[in-house]
Amino acid sequence: MKSYLGKRFVGMVAVMFMVATVTFVVIRVIPGDPAALMLGPEATAVDIEALRSRLGLDLSLATQYLTFLSDLLRGDLGNSIFLGGRPVLRILADRAEPTVCLTLIAIVVAMAVGIPSGIISASRRGSLADQATVSVAMGLASAPSFWLGLAFMQFFSVRLGWFPTSGYGDPGAEFLERMRHLALPGLVLGLVNSALITRFTRTTLLDILSDDYIRTARAKGLGEWPVIMRHAFRNALVPILTVVGLTLALLLGGAVVTETVFNIPGVGNLVVSSVLRRDYPVIGGSLLVIAGVYVLVNLAVDLAYLLIDPRVKY
Amino acid sequence: MKIKTLLLVLFLSLAWLSPLTKAAAGEWKAGGIINVATIGEPPTLDPSVSTADVVAVISQHFFETLFAFGEGFSVKPLLAEKMPSITPDGLNYAIQLRQGVKFHNGKEMTAADAAASVRRWLKVAVRGKQIADSVKEVAAEGKYTVRITLATPYTPLLALLAMPTSMAIIIPEELTEGDLKEYVGTGVYKFVEHQPDRYVRVVRNDAYQPHPDPADLYAGKRTAYADEIRFIPVPSPNTRLEGGLSGQYQYADQLPIENYSRLLGQANVQPVMTAPYGWPMIFLNCREGMMANLKIRQAVQAALSQEDMLAVAFGEPEYYQVDGSMYPKGYFYHNERGLELYNQADPVKARELLGEAGYTGGTLRILTSMQYEFHFKMAQVAAENLREAGFNVDMNVVDWATLTQQRNDPKLWDIYFTHSPFVPDPYLNNFFNDGYPGWWVDSRKTELANKFNSEPDLRKRALILEDIQQLWYEEAANIKIGNFNLLGALAKNVKGYIPSSWPSFWNVAVE
Repeated sequence: MKSYLGKRFVGMVAVMFMVATVTFVVIRVIPGDPAALMLGPEATAVDIEALRSRLGLDLSLATQYLTFLSDLLRGDLGNSIFLGGRPVLRILADRAEPTVCLTLIAIVVAMAVGIPSGIISASRRGSLADQATVSVAMGLASAPSFWLGLAFMQFFSVRLGWFPTSGYGDPGAEFLERMRHLALPGLVLGLVNSALITRFTRTTLLDILSDDYIRTARAKGLGEWPVIMRHAFRNALVPILTVVGLTLALLLGGAVVTETVFNIPGVGNLVVSSVLRRDYPVIGGSLLVIAGVYVLVNLAVDLAYLLIDPRVKY
Repeated sequence: MKIKTLLLVLFLSLAWLSPLTKAAAGEWKAGGIINVATIGEPPTLDPSVSTADVVAVISQHFFETLFAFGEGFSVKPLLAEKMPSITPDGLNYAIQLRQGVKFHNGKEMTAADAAASVRRWLKVAVRGKQIADSVKEVAAEGKYTVRITLATPYTPLLALLAMPTSMAIIIPEELTEGDLKEYVGTGVYKFVEHQPDRYVRVVRNDAYQPHPDPADLYAGKRTAYADEIRFIPVPSPNTRLEGGLSGQYQYADQLPIENYSRLLGQANVQPVMTAPYGWPMIFLNCREGMMANLKIRQAVQAALSQEDMLAVAFGEPEYYQVDGSMYPKGYFYHNERGLELYNQADPVKARELLGEAGYTGGTLRILTSMQYEFHFKMAQVAAENLREAGFNVDMNVVDWATLTQQRNDPKLWDIYFTHSPFVPDPYLNNFFNDGYPGWWVDSRKTELANKFNSEPDLRKRALILEDIQQLWYEEAANIKIGNFNLLGALAKNVKGYIPSSWPSFWNVAVE
């Protein structure tokens, strides 16, 4: 186990180093200049060059990269060019709450909708309920989340007035009020992600339901639901957990479209706005942290297999 | 269509006049919060260093300038007590400050603060730096007089000191060195908090000393009716619209114009239109490539159908005007010189000009961005116009950040699309700047510009501008597409709001 964890740790460091390097190079190779954006449309080339120099953007790429790496080794992701020069880590910490909460709401919704739907669909294969479930799941998987978000916003917020349209609450808003702002985007994100869980649950269960031990259980006279829930579903948990884990990891990296549509100040929104304004330190820092979260969640999922499947050994 | 236009004009007129009279009568109660959905996060809160409109919109609530614009871009005193006394040679400006004006830190504003602030503006501001070489000295004379001494006469000085972008803010002298870290001004609202990508909060400045003159757009008496204003960055226009419709935002800025009809007939929200707001334009690369050839620039000018470009970009004619003048009708500087070269849509003439120029089929590279959808739509129409005239056209569609960088390199483009609000002084138009991407350098332009800038008589300036406009058309270095309106969504319980280029929320109340 220790050796397994050790190997995973080494792999994680290698992944992070690669992410840091690729991100650093890519964001500086793409065109666009934060100095020009900060100074506005009427800035002259001389003004822009002066600001570039102040920000250290006129240094060679190699010098900038070495500075970036040495800062990184000291745990310093640098300071934002735009957001008042704040440290990137602090900015990410501020954005963590909305993203983590949105992810949790979405994953709960996705599991609450996706797993029962998949079970019902599998248990009544070929029935109207199965066809309806599969169709709805396909529809949700195909619907662009920005469209679904705007449609929900128009119906639930503008027409019914049940939820705020966007944002993360007023200054000093209580936790529950902040969660009210996340309810609608959480629902949208959950529904979109439930489609994959539904289809995965259905497919996995259908495979298992044709296994010999299920036939044996049925032959013993067990009812259909006990067969599905006690025997089939428990064995389907490992692949379902894999999908849920991957979804969780992706969402923790920031649900870019949903956060943008609902104007939630989360990590996804931060990445988009930072790319648009070429805030290099924030882009680099965010992607590094997102990659770290992704790797850690995957590790956690792999370890969770130990709990739900005694056959798994590391 | 005409009835709709008349109703629109009537609506706008009533919306414009009613708040002025009510504000003057002081009928509104203080209190409430105004949530303003802005187009995005401000890149900085120091309005001197940036010319971005969103920075000006927010910061003008806590920073003030010596002068401000009234209706029709007339320069009026704000922190200055009255208009300055200027020596007949136009070289000395004595600016008398209002007494008893306090900064948000409680300190009284004096000439030492104002002089240091103007010196800082000349050093750090994009617009300030443009004229720094013309300024000999900025000095405090006594406690309440600032004297600006110029090396050469420069008539746009007061307009520059009144501009909300690249703003000549007046701050305490001790904050004028280095980067601005504290946002301490004299404004009608006080800066409280900035949560990046969430909001900028300002609260009423109870110690505010308003100018005694009646309210006049950005000038005159300013009253903070709302307790607090929150500027919330909402980059998605659809989200701004839905937030406005649901009542979450009392004002949603810069909405896609096609949403006008959706805002009509709503119970709690109304459309507000800044008409006209500004002008989309094309810059041609006079420094390198095929556009350095005047005949080819003129061929581009002849080929374009501005009317089609505007129709495709903005839809209904209520949302734009096919107008080639540098300033729209009704503006002091409006004139019609050179307009025979506007909206020609003449591919035959363009082909002839291309023949005269010896065009051999080189690729004309259009640089444009989809971040401003109307730029992209106009570029598509322009590309078709130009192909019809015989150009070989290539569209390079990039994000705005890329465009702002690539346009600085004359090797990368032939024409690019941008836009600008109408600026208070014609000299603030970018094409006057030889170094601005487009690089229109012309001794006749320089001569006319110098004459224009040293002429104190407004009527004579207007005549000089007619010559400039004629030259501008003949040289086709910068092509105007037309005028366009700006749409916002305003909650019906908000009173006193006046549509303008840089939305302001003093003299605005929530009922």
